[in-house]
Amino acid sequence: MADADFIQLVDRFYPSLYRFALSLARSEADACDLTQQTFYIWATKGHALREAEKAKSWLFTTLYREFLRGRRRGERMLALDTVEEPEVEQSSLAPETVASMDADVVLAALQDVDEAFRAPLTLFYIEELSYQEIADVLEIPIGTVMSRLSRGKTQLRARLMAERKTSVPGNGTVTAFPVSKGKARHG
Amino acid sequence: MDNEEAKFILRAYRQNGADAGNAAFCAALEQAKRDPELGRWLEREMALDRVVATKLKAITPPAGLRDAILAGGKMSVRPRRDWWRQPRWMALAASIALVIGVAGIGWPRFAAAREAERFAEFAVNDLIDAPDHAAHGPGMGQLAALVSDPTRKLGGALPIEFDALKANGCRTVRFAGRDVLEVCFERAGKEFHFYVMKRPEKSRMRAGPDGMRFAKAGRDEAVSAVWSDDRYVYALVGTGGLETLRAVL
Repeated sequence: MADADFIQLVDRFYPSLYRFALSLARSEADACDLTQQTFYIWATKGHALREAEKAKSWLFTTLYREFLRGRRRGERMLALDTVEEPEVEQSSLAPETVASMDADVVLAALQDVDEAFRAPLTLFYIEELSYQEIADVLEIPIGTVMSRLSRGKTQLRARLMAERKTSVPGNGTVTAFPVSKGKARHG
Repeated sequence: MDNEEAKFILRAYRQNGADAGNAAFCAALEQAKRDPELGRWLEREMALDRVVATKLKAITPPAGLRDAILAGGKMSVRPRRDWWRQPRWMALAASIALVIGVAGIGWPRFAAAREAERFAEFAVNDLIDAPDHAAHGPGMGQLAALVSDPTRKLGGALPIEFDALKANGCRTVRFAGRDVLEVCFERAGKEFHFYVMKRPEKSRMRAGPDGMRFAKAGRDEAVSAVWSDDRYVYALVGTGGLETLRAVL
């Protein structure tokens, strides 16, 4: 791959890949390593990809695989068993409240969301990937993506609510949230 | 579609208009237009999404990361030299070839196991998480008859017309960029979910019943079996225990 092409690719994708990595790894140093490693793999292997328009999906998939590679096998599947359902009513969180928060606070809330939900949520918010694209990147079914987006958003808002209550004591209420998981219908 | 289903769908809706042509989103958006309460929920939801996305996009990578990436890229594409003519590299290459040869005996089995494990994980997740398994079209006769025949053992090569079934509306999901057909059926009062995809060219799974792999998923008591033939890779998932699954295979 020509230097100019590689530079163009890096400039186009490294900020969003870094944000994705940061949400997964929860550490700036690890996020930098993951982003660098992803482009390194591209430079050694990915440039052989025949369809250039698939570069974006390839890069995000590779970064996610590299992240998973460092973790114990089997953890990914069991992780959802340990995920608690969100407990607060999300509608009590006003958009203006989030708008008044620092970006770092919102990022910290996202990083506190369970990993199974965090990855699709980040791809949805940062890269505006469709649920189909997210399914391809994370290699999970579409139904799983939609379920995780739904539950992830609820969890994120619960975390943001907690941030608000921490920063503004006595402001707002927390009520019981009826669990709705999008239960499967089998035909 | 009730409001809870509409909300479930709309939480994945992108505000940049890219989803405007998607039938599921269109139906949910129409419902939000008709129902003021749902409409208000959607408005608030989208406002929250906008502000969260704006905040997250404001995170900037640390200074120096770009240069480090570019430097790493350059390191990986050094110009070629006649290194192979040096005896020490010839010796190293021979050693590596030996190691690869030895590792090559074990690697295909590991790769096949991992491949089956990933497909099983996908099928289990789809079984548990997919909102609707009822999206079957009218042309399901061939596959439905095949899997629901109580005398038919499924654990081998199956005469499936993949493209015709897909064209006729068999529920199709995606796994690793490939289409996967799914059908649900019952035998002896137990529910099963059968998944089939075209065998990837680079698949390392062993074709035939000897290559079949069973797994307990750790979610909702689900158990799975994955096997392959020359044309397809199959997964069967159920929640009735391993013996119930074996009885069908």
